[in-house]
Amino acid sequence: MTVLTILLLACITFGTRYLFLEGRLPVRLGSNIKLFLSYSGPAVLTAITMPILFVHKHQLDTAVSNPYLWGALAAIAAAYKTANIYWTVGLGILVFAVFSSQASWFV
Amino acid sequence: MITFDKGIKISLRKGVVDMLPLSLAVLPWGILFGSIAVQRGFSWLEAQMFSAIIFGGAVQIVTVELIADNASLVTVLFTAFVISSRHFLYGLSLREKLSPKPFRWRLGLGFLLTDELFALSGHRRAYQGKLRLIYGLAAGGSFYLAWNLWTFIGIVAGASLPDLTDLGLDFAIAATFIALVVPEIKTLATLAAVITAAIFSLVFSLWELELGLVFAALLAMAAGFTVQQLRRPV
Repeated sequence: MTVLTILLLACITFGTRYLFLEGRLPVRLGSNIKLFLSYSGPAVLTAITMPILFVHKHQLDTAVSNPYLWGALAAIAAAYKTANIYWTVGLGILVFAVFSSQASWFV
Repeated sequence: MITFDKGIKISLRKGVVDMLPLSLAVLPWGILFGSIAVQRGFSWLEAQMFSAIIFGGAVQIVTVELIADNASLVTVLFTAFVISSRHFLYGLSLREKLSPKPFRWRLGLGFLLTDELFALSGHRRAYQGKLRLIYGLAAGGSFYLAWNLWTFIGIVAGASLPDLTDLGLDFAIAATFIALVVPEIKTLATLAAVITAAIFSLVFSLWELELGLVFAALLAMAAGFTVQQLRRPV
């Protein structure tokens, strides 16, 4: 029974992923829809990122003691300057780690 | 002159490396899932099956609890559907690029199309040509292996490991997504989309809205679209 449920769940995750990749599906995207969809990357990624940075334990956390804030600012600066994924992730994590380990700076 | 074989190797490696921060960042969640599943009475095999064939972090963690609490099958499936609905957006966005590809590529990449793989699919020429397809397969495939390995560790050792989810590894996801989004902000329309997504994702997250991600993304896309239309010369 559990295995059957797992199989049905797999059908849901795969089905939702695959559906629109199927060319025979009679869906034609007009130019307006295509323009609308062209913003999906930045829209989705920003919408995933912001709660990681600023919602902790179901609370908004915009205090200066929030290491995610400083790590993100460093990452944004690095991304703006270098447009390089490795520099951005590396510098962001470094600054995040420093501020995480130095929470006492803000006490 | 780069030979085709060498190109394949480079594409494979780049896919794995680009995905690496994301593969590592989900370690605490993979372990958490494996650990919860075993604690809630699932067999090792069932727990691993979740990651092997369902392959969706939030869906797995939520449904494993629902099943253990004896929720009805309809409730379990409907909840999974709601959480998975964002995949429709990914499929639609990649439809132009992937729907003309041979079935085996659509099948493989479709199966691997997580948030993380979608994040690495934003390039204008993503999936165009064999090497870019291989890049996607390496990125998605390495993430799949990592997620299943973390799940396995959670199944075997979850009970004896501390909760790693507040360690801050999720910052790597944020940093990677920042690296992908910031260079894309070249027009006022994209900026409007990003700001809209930023505001509404926080609001909906604080409201603990199950579909918050999808709603915030749709509002952001509408904002980008509208700004683009307003600025277009008539």
